[in-house]
Amino acid sequence: MTTVALQPAARSHGTPAQRIRRWLGHNALFVYTFAAIVYLMLPIAVMILFSFNRPAGKSNFAWREFSFDAWLNPFAPLGLSDAVMASLRIAFISTIVATILGTLIGLGLTRYVFRGRAATNLIIFLPMATPEIVLGASLLTLFVSIGMARNELTILIAHIMFNISYVVVTIRARLAGFDRRLEEAAMDLGATEMVTFWKVTFPLIFPGILAAAMLAFSLSIDDFVITNFTAGSTVTLPMYIYGATRIGVPVQVNVIGTIIFGTAVGAVLLSTLLQRRDRAA
Amino acid sequence: MSEQHPSLFDRALTRRRMLQGTALAGVAAFLAACGTAAQSVAPSVAPSVAASEAPSSGPSQAASPSPAASATPKPSPAAELNFANWPLYIDQDSSNPPKSPTLEGFTKKYGTKVNYRETINANEDFFGTIRPALEAGQDTGWDLVVLTDWMAAKIIGLGWVETIDTANTPAFAANESDNLRNQPWDPDNNKRAPWQSGMTGLGFDSKVVGSQTSMAALWTADPRWKGKVWLLNEMRDTIGLTLLKLGKDPATATNADCDAAIAEIKKALDGGVVRSFLGNDYKEGLIKGDLVLGTAWSGDIIQAQLEKASLKFVIPSDGGMIWTDNMLIPKGAAHKYTAELMIDYVYDPTIAAQIAAYVQYVSPVKGSKEAIAKNADKTVAALGQNPLMFPDAATLAKTHIFKALSADEDKYFNDQFSTLQGN
Amino acid sequence: MTALLRRYHFIVPYLLLTPGLIWLAIFYIYPSIQMFISSFWSGSLEHGFTFSLANVHNYTDGLSRYQEQIVRSVFFAAAATIATFLISFPLAYTIAFRAGQYKNLLLFLVIAPFFTSFLLRVISWRTILGDDGLLLGPLKSAGLVSDDVRILATPVAVISGIAYNFLPFMTLPIYVSLEKIDKRLLEAGQDLYATPWSAFRKITLPLALPGIFAGTLLTFIPAMGDYVNAELLGQTPATKMIGNVVQSRFLVNNDYPTAAALSFILMAGILVAVAVYARLLGTEELMSSAG
Repeated sequence: MTTVALQPAARSHGTPAQRIRRWLGHNALFVYTFAAIVYLMLPIAVMILFSFNRPAGKSNFAWREFSFDAWLNPFAPLGLSDAVMASLRIAFISTIVATILGTLIGLGLTRYVFRGRAATNLIIFLPMATPEIVLGASLLTLFVSIGMARNELTILIAHIMFNISYVVVTIRARLAGFDRRLEEAAMDLGATEMVTFWKVTFPLIFPGILAAAMLAFSLSIDDFVITNFTAGSTVTLPMYIYGATRIGVPVQVNVIGTIIFGTAVGAVLLSTLLQRRDRAA
Repeated sequence: MSEQHPSLFDRALTRRRMLQGTALAGVAAFLAACGTAAQSVAPSVAPSVAASEAPSSGPSQAASPSPAASATPKPSPAAELNFANWPLYIDQDSSNPPKSPTLEGFTKKYGTKVNYRETINANEDFFGTIRPALEAGQDTGWDLVVLTDWMAAKIIGLGWVETIDTANTPAFAANESDNLRNQPWDPDNNKRAPWQSGMTGLGFDSKVVGSQTSMAALWTADPRWKGKVWLLNEMRDTIGLTLLKLGKDPATATNADCDAAIAEIKKALDGGVVRSFLGNDYKEGLIKGDLVLGTAWSGDIIQAQLEKASLKFVIPSDGGMIWTDNMLIPKGAAHKYTAELMIDYVYDPTIAAQIAAYVQYVSPVKGSKEAIAKNADKTVAALGQNPLMFPDAATLAKTHIFKALSADEDKYFNDQFSTLQGN
Repeated sequence: MTALLRRYHFIVPYLLLTPGLIWLAIFYIYPSIQMFISSFWSGSLEHGFTFSLANVHNYTDGLSRYQEQIVRSVFFAAAATIATFLISFPLAYTIAFRAGQYKNLLLFLVIAPFFTSFLLRVISWRTILGDDGLLLGPLKSAGLVSDDVRILATPVAVISGIAYNFLPFMTLPIYVSLEKIDKRLLEAGQDLYATPWSAFRKITLPLALPGIFAGTLLTFIPAMGDYVNAELLGQTPATKMIGNVVQSRFLVNNDYPTAAALSFILMAGILVAVAVYARLLGTEELMSSAG
């Protein structure tokens, strides 16, 4: 599917030798990209395949026979649906909050020179450098010492905390080298600071925000160690799966994984196709 | 003493304070609407139970006698019970929505809603999550937790469990297997109640390695299994079996014995026979064929045999280990009496058989074998004949219990074993 | 409001930073200070812990005892970061400049595998990389590799596991910095310079530097403290990283002081490495000049 999307660059300038080399160069890039995507998808393909397995026992390691069983009853294992819902809620909310907080910090750090900038940089890097177990344990100690009951809220607090740094670093990659003259031009034309932000700045940094949000979502939905410490009686999907390995991870877990993956990719594919139809019409 | 049991009032206050303090009321309200965040608010029945259930023993209370204890009328079951267990460790009926017949039965009998959470995935990890609350003298939020003996012994040693009032648990008192009673770390048999037991021995793929009966195989560089051997990453299982190989008794292990066992294991590692130290992962390797021989847990192999019939479990001729996962009531639990009711409930042989048929480990309940054999489903009834689920006296005689290590010994053994594993 | 902001313009950055920094102050810095204090403890869970500055030896002991694992972590994290970069850069380049309308789809394909559970991916990888799995199985039956060759339980498995895991953390930042490059600039460059390579080196690469810098940080820093890959794909004493030591010191041995001390050693080491790296790449100046 990738090769279809990539239009070979047909340029008319340069000597024939250069053209051949360029052509080869471009195609090498396509092949390389294709291989990289295959590499990324490989474990997912295995996961999807095994969602159609009918294992003989409780674990799902060896292929036995094709079946829709797990798909027809995806929430059959006790506690699985609660775990999935908790994980999705936490991932969505923590992504939104962390993306907003992180974007603001990113804007502040790249666009202003101010006292305390170096210290702020330090505070951004440190959480990424702290081993998860220590992060989780010290947060739990904090919650216990202020008498805060552990539940989804405490997981959420933790996830927002560790996501902020990732958002800031990603946003800065987009903001670095940002051409302030675009904003100045808009203001010269009479736009207020707010209008300038929403009409000029925001669209320009949006890809960075989107990328940061996606990274944050992937970190949150898959976190085990910190969640385990701050969860109280809440069970998230990674906690459920980690624990289930003792007896055997049910096939339904593969089904859930496939649905989450399929929904994300399907939604983007759909919007791409709709855009294309709009353009064609 | 009232500090020991946060009442409904305390808990509600804590929650309110927390909401104000973090200025996240909006988010919290959303979560509460989603239904799971609200569980920290105890129902109205809780306070009376908590108040009347003040523990009558334990070092911290020794100074303040509680004559009221006997005069108090029998408490009534609480509206809820917070029960933490390992995933897939109770019978379940995969109807829609999934249910556990045992938990449903308990709710029907006592009217208590069981907040059963499969949140324990490793002894150490779970201990890490309840330790700060126990240290601070707070309710952990759990009324009943299930942990393996050595961890249970450690928590009991730290004084962090409630004593079970055996007057409330007649079935437990009557039906607990004799070989599990009166452990040195629970001499009065009232700090923990066994949930399931299991044996540790040799697990292997008989199609690849033939029939093995001796631990010595793990030290033999046979081309059929060299580099495809694993050892369990649980210190007591691996050190215990190695001590048995060396002809030493794990029940009386000293630091010097530990050193000898570590040196012995090193030989197998350096010889390239042993590939990895593993927890539950070994089952996956065994089914996929990356591993063919190693130290294993009995219940795992019963499960894995369904996927690979050539898998075998034996208690080695050197001897095997036996261990138990235990129900504990953490100190300060809000619903202690109801937790005792649950302990007693699962010691009913019929209920025990129901659980055993699903989890397929060794049931600690007398009479569960007879109960399972009466099951209408023939495959289930046949489990009554499974020697790994209901080991006979000869098998049990070959199994050993690991010594209840002192705190210092425990530190030493774990330290050596961690270093051996490279961390 | 706007007029007020313009008058007190110096306050704007603080307004932007405050909400996020308050969050980090309460939920990161405060707990970290407690953790720092606990790194000067001695004692045990059973006998209680006591604080003393003399326990600074927790740091020196930790350093000397776990030297091997520290060095291994640096090596594994660096190798994985390089591998991730080599895979990510061409990928990000293609998505940014040549994917046309499929840009978003490709971008999602890079991140979507990570919306599923880590353990599921590991179980899949074990199926693929197994001794007789999808990769080695055919090679072995064709006689191309010897029967006792394995990938699982080797450093290769751990490094590839880390590289796979952090791929989007490299690809996405590089993509967002490449994507904003004005394509006319590239075309002009290709006309200006003799070869596409020099055009790439003189124009694309410098403009992509902030993304490369960000991607490297997002990969290298967490990879240094990673423990799951060594735990689940390495599984041998010879592949354990410093993250595994912290994990085991904390959970298994209840040796909280050493775990905390090792964490601070790790954090300090990473900060030094980042500072050196930023200077080498000149990214700090580049990022500052944006303001």
